[in-house]
Amino acid sequence: MKESILAVRRAIDELDLDGIGAIVGRCLEEGLSPEEIIQEGISPGLAIVGQKFEEGEYFLADLIMAGEVVKEAMPLLKDRMNPGNDGGKGTVVLATVAGDIHEIGKNIVGMILSANGFEVIDLGVDVPAGKIMEAAQSSGARFIGLSALLTTMVDSIREVVDAARSTGLRDKVRIVIGGACTSQELCTEMGADAYGETAIDALRIFNGYAAGA
Amino acid sequence: MHAIERVLNALAGKPTDHVPTFCAMVEDRTFNEVLGKPLIPQELLMGNPAARFVLDRWGRALTRPVFQPEVNRGLEKRIRAQVELGFDSVWAILDETFIVIDHATMVRFNGSIFNLQPDGFGNMTYMYRGPGIKSREDFEAWPYWPDADDLAHSTYRFFRKMVSRYGHRACLFGQGPAYGIQESLLWAVGFERMPVWIRREKDLVKRYIDLNEEICLKTNMALIDAGVPVVIQTDDFAFKSGPIMNPKLIDELFGPSYRRIIKAVHDRGAKYVLHSCGDNTLLFDTFVSWGVDGLHAYENTSNVDILKEKRLHGDKVTIIGGVGVDYLLTDRSRDEEVVTEVKRLIGELGPGGRFIIAPVHSLSSIPAHKLRVMVDAVARYGAYPISVS
Repeated sequence: MKESILAVRRAIDELDLDGIGAIVGRCLEEGLSPEEIIQEGISPGLAIVGQKFEEGEYFLADLIMAGEVVKEAMPLLKDRMNPGNDGGKGTVVLATVAGDIHEIGKNIVGMILSANGFEVIDLGVDVPAGKIMEAAQSSGARFIGLSALLTTMVDSIREVVDAARSTGLRDKVRIVIGGACTSQELCTEMGADAYGETAIDALRIFNGYAAGA
Repeated sequence: MHAIERVLNALAGKPTDHVPTFCAMVEDRTFNEVLGKPLIPQELLMGNPAARFVLDRWGRALTRPVFQPEVNRGLEKRIRAQVELGFDSVWAILDETFIVIDHATMVRFNGSIFNLQPDGFGNMTYMYRGPGIKSREDFEAWPYWPDADDLAHSTYRFFRKMVSRYGHRACLFGQGPAYGIQESLLWAVGFERMPVWIRREKDLVKRYIDLNEEICLKTNMALIDAGVPVVIQTDDFAFKSGPIMNPKLIDELFGPSYRRIIKAVHDRGAKYVLHSCGDNTLLFDTFVSWGVDGLHAYENTSNVDILKEKRLHGDKVTIIGGVGVDYLLTDRSRDEEVVTEVKRLIGELGPGGRFIIAPVHSLSSIPAHKLRVMVDAVARYGAYPISVS
């Protein structure tokens, strides 16, 4: 493997915000394609960061930082990328449920999913079930990610699941929940498909669905 | 033993006659249930077209002369309700951090923006909307920084009254118009921006921390001068699954400020309690090294293991919290479930002292009745030597 590709991995692993641009530029100059850089450099780099997060070596701020490092690299790659390769793992509609306006966790998940090849439609906060279904229908999304922090708003998760049933989408979309007030028990109670405790959990779950779908 | 002596003894690691109680603040629904509902619900009052017009047009100008006294009356109701509920120690806050921008928007003076919205129980509350400082230019132009001396004066005036009215009945944990230095930075610049700023905008981050340290120091000294025996500070350093950032970085960035603040509090003879939500397991050693007397939250919904913490740090710091607000202190639980959990916490955390039982958080959905059940259960089962069987 070329040293420059390993340097991309290293830059992400070491959260080298200031160095990544030059490193990716060098890869392009050496004739590597954007797809190769993403596949061989960025994705494995993010996987290392994710593993370090799970092992307790890295923290949430480091995940954000890794996302920012990738963000620095992406404009350089996007200009030269073949259309259709971005967001290849599928579309995820993300929202903080109705009544809740907390978005930090949702934004982290969005950033991690985007950096890992998902097309993310972020509807923002306090989003009613109907709007989530509209977005899923119009985009053809197969995945929905719901965030809830407030205990008082957990019923909004059920409303989304019910809306998916009533619009005939329930069998076509996977609904994953996360956030401070959520749990595996709540996931089962509300009829969602999966619960992710962390952003890396969410990535693993959506990756699993994307690979199996 | 008087409630105040009980609480101060627990914070000092001295014996107490009983496991003390602390109320982690009450919101409008709860204090209305204790003290009686207002004739006109806040939501109706604030939501009518005339009020909206006034707030949209003159919100900023009216914030301190008109709205602040009304806010202060609400804050006093919170203290009174906590005392009436029978807690040994109560969270007393002066929130003079907001400026009303319009009927739906408030800013906090140190850089964050909040929605003003109904709480679902006929009252108004606020929720974080986003950062107000998104660039170096925003920081330099931010127009709402207060004069820390003015804040200290109003803190002193407010707490003199609170101490004279309630300070003989319960131990006041006072929080002036200052939020935690780290969480204020996070809210002001946004979570996605904060790690980048820490790396790239070191001078701005340092200036931000220094400004907030000055506010904390001066208002904390005013609290103590007013007779408040315990200073409490919120600063949420963790999420559900762990610290927001590397504990070493937290200590490097915020440790020097907290060490200076806590030393100043101790030098004046008061105690210092830090409230930090989430799983702080990796941070407890850091907090202890800063000199805190007590730590509050130990959120049951996070991954923190309160029993393990009792074993690890129970001789160095007083553990405050334990009672969940996600289920137990809601309308959904049964009274006997609250009693069972209180007994369990007392049985496991009470022996050896340095434990103050408390809700892990305030929440607008907490019914006053469940807090009474909790206090009654502690009165029944919390006497030393502990025997909860």
